[in-house]
Amino acid sequence: MALLEVTGITKRFGGLCAVNDLSLSLDKGQILGLIGPNGAGKTTAFNMVSGFYKPDEGDITFEGKIITGLRPDIVCKLGLTRTFQVVKPFPQLSVRDNVMVGAYNRTNNRRESRQKAEEIIEFLGMQDVVDMTAGSLSVAYRKRLEIAKALATDPKIILLDEAMAGLRPIETDHMIDLVRQVSKQGIALLLVEHVMRVIMSLAERIVVIHHGEKIAEGEPQEICQDKAVIDAYLGEVEIDVKG
Amino acid sequence: MSPEIFFQIIVNGLFTGGIYALVAVGLTLIYGVMVIVNFAHGEFLMLGIYIAFLGNSLLGIDPYMIIPIALVLIFGLGALIQRGLVQRVLDAHPLNQIILLVGVGMLLVGLVQFFFSAEPKAIHVPYETAVISAFGLRFAIARLVAFFASMTISLLLYLFLHYTRIGKAIRAVSQSRDAARLMGINVNFIYYLTFGIGVAITAVAGVLLSPNHRMIPTMGQGYSVIAFVVVVLGTMGNFIGAFLGGLIIGVVEAFAGFYLGGDVKIIASMLIFILILLFRPAGLFGRKRA
Amino acid sequence: MTAEISKKTSSGPVRDWFRGVLLDWDRTQMLICFLLVGLLALAPLFIHSTYYLGILILATIYAFIGISWNIVAGFTGQLLIAQIIFLAAGAYTTIVLYNNFLISPWVGILIAGLVAGLFGVVVAFITLRYGLKVDYFALFTIALMVALRTLFLKWKYVGGAVGMWFSLTDPAFDKMIFATKEPYLYIALGLVVIGLLVQYRIYRSKMGKYFLAIREDEDAAAALGVNTSLYKTLAVVIGAAMAGVGGGFYVMYVTFIEPPQVFNLGLNVEIVMAGPIIGGLGSLAGPIVGALLNKPFAEIMRGALTGGRSGSSLIVYGSFLILTVMFMPRGVTGVLHTIYCWIIRRFTSEELGDNQNGPA
Repeated sequence: MALLEVTGITKRFGGLCAVNDLSLSLDKGQILGLIGPNGAGKTTAFNMVSGFYKPDEGDITFEGKIITGLRPDIVCKLGLTRTFQVVKPFPQLSVRDNVMVGAYNRTNNRRESRQKAEEIIEFLGMQDVVDMTAGSLSVAYRKRLEIAKALATDPKIILLDEAMAGLRPIETDHMIDLVRQVSKQGIALLLVEHVMRVIMSLAERIVVIHHGEKIAEGEPQEICQDKAVIDAYLGEVEIDVKG
Repeated sequence: MSPEIFFQIIVNGLFTGGIYALVAVGLTLIYGVMVIVNFAHGEFLMLGIYIAFLGNSLLGIDPYMIIPIALVLIFGLGALIQRGLVQRVLDAHPLNQIILLVGVGMLLVGLVQFFFSAEPKAIHVPYETAVISAFGLRFAIARLVAFFASMTISLLLYLFLHYTRIGKAIRAVSQSRDAARLMGINVNFIYYLTFGIGVAITAVAGVLLSPNHRMIPTMGQGYSVIAFVVVVLGTMGNFIGAFLGGLIIGVVEAFAGFYLGGDVKIIASMLIFILILLFRPAGLFGRKRA
Repeated sequence: MTAEISKKTSSGPVRDWFRGVLLDWDRTQMLICFLLVGLLALAPLFIHSTYYLGILILATIYAFIGISWNIVAGFTGQLLIAQIIFLAAGAYTTIVLYNNFLISPWVGILIAGLVAGLFGVVVAFITLRYGLKVDYFALFTIALMVALRTLFLKWKYVGGAVGMWFSLTDPAFDKMIFATKEPYLYIALGLVVIGLLVQYRIYRSKMGKYFLAIREDEDAAAALGVNTSLYKTLAVVIGAAMAGVGGGFYVMYVTFIEPPQVFNLGLNVEIVMAGPIIGGLGSLAGPIVGALLNKPFAEIMRGALTGGRSGSSLIVYGSFLILTVMFMPRGVTGVLHTIYCWIIRRFTSEELGDNQNGPA
């Protein structure tokens, strides 16, 4: 049985169908990529899985339990944490405090929370900014902080929403490495990405969505050659990937 | 209840509502353009009424003649306050905006209290008790004039917003600040203008209120609260909503005053306020949820 | 909790204690607070005028109420403007229990806290259930205040428009009536000490971090496992209960209460908002620093400089609020923090981050 089972979720906003009958599954320790053109519904799907939106149809099952429509904080407590496309740090709090908020997900003890936070901060190579306010961090560090916070909640799955967007190539390489290490810890990952290099090197399987519907699913090599995917999306990407 | 009393209450309510409408239109204009709730709004009405007092007691001028003076003075003051103070907090945390405006309001009340004392005052004009009788109803001249003046001013403002270049620029900014900027509109200038206009017409409402009306420096607060109710009722940022809302609240208050007594009539507006905030925060003209 | 020190300096228990406190901004703030409390406690030795003592007592009460608001507005960022409704609830509860039921104010104050806390539950529930946020939340609390003023004006049981008062009978400890001002000061200080400790414990705890997270970004907090509704409610209830207790003591000190006096935005600004804002909203020392700056200064302005002309204190408060928002958005405590960081950098090899909160 898959760790995360998404079956036929649909979300409509007024007359617009943002996500239509989307299904996917994620196994323990697996890295699944979710790609598609802008506006395809990827973030909407994330919002549904993590509890920020209620699906109009369909179900989401996590570890065999139905979590459809549960509050985001409950979903997180159960073991599924998401990050945000436009990073959401706690600007006036220190990096340490930021991560501690995540760490408190599993403990009520300040010492434990602080220790865990500092371990994770070190894991992400952010020790030198541990006391700085999150609002004063550079983009690259903010992206790392976003992952640090998610890691601190001790999840079984992390939904990474465009964790590489806006990074320079060298920073992207760092992040790819970090993501790999996270995966090695046994955490399953669902990645939304536009940077093809990242998806191709990290994802074991890829789901492609377009206009809210799944148009392809398979291993990275198959996806690259899928006609529907090339027409809808990768065709554009030729231009993207030049940098 | 006899028809005469019923219609008399409506008339009185509309007269009061006209003032409310003017104040609310000013508030909603400011909100629509700058997305800021002017917590000092009522204080500008208070300034208007005290300007009328000054003009009347010092120079013996009839309050209605003071309207243009009040307009210009308060417009200038408003633009200055906007430029110097409000502008700085437009993108800050809402709490900072509220604090700043509360501070401005307090400062204005303090200054008026300092120079005029907290003793209640009033100006008296020869025609203050004059009444027209028609259709079996009584229309107090001063209030009748105030009503038509507020209708006229509201209409003029509406035409200004819809048929002049600057007016359209103001409406553009209220719809999308960035798009307006891209079109070459000097958004900051529009901000000064809007705030100035918004508080200026509120001050005019104060002048219109002045004949034989008890004035104390703290009177603005009550009008602020009513203005909030009206603006939320009529949908924040909506000109016509504020206008109609003002009239509606005026009439509602008149009936509440008749049945419950003058000192508690405000409870009707507060109940309406609370009900709207809970069940239809977008107001009469907005979508279901704000 | 001390940061690493690269320079080897001599150590000893006193030095270590100082290091433990002074290298931690939170603890330094508490030190400042307790120094202020100490100063206030010693004040009666030097100040004998009942007028000035009265100002200090009010300032101390304001500090306590300010702490209650700081927890709601400062920590969780909820725009509960009209916190004074909870003070009023507590005040009326206490005076009714005293007048009509002869219940000692010492007990009455606690019951007042309970009543105000329950009221807080109701307010929190309504605002959460109906999704009132930011401006709407603020306006709702104002509407509540005005509505309550009208209701209390007509409610005969609590005195209606005339209000309630009690006669200053023979001083009796159990009635919280004293012949001189000093006991009131010490009770108020006691409340402030309790308030400071509660505030500090909350701030350092999980609940405090969750409060701050909610203030900074509610969605991000929820995504990290924070039950935002629960914690927002907790903040309101704690703040309300505290304000209720403060209100109970307030009414015992001023000995009377009436609706226009207490359901009043002007008083709300003076008691609830001015202190924490000028002192530094969201900081630990803000409420007490702000209250002690505000009230005495306003009174002195009113008395000394302008010969008692009315409106002076309003001018002072208004200007302070404006100046604070414009130039000192983090309040006096924020300025102190900047100075503090400079001192630390200058005199030790420490490099503390620019973090307002200091090491956890």
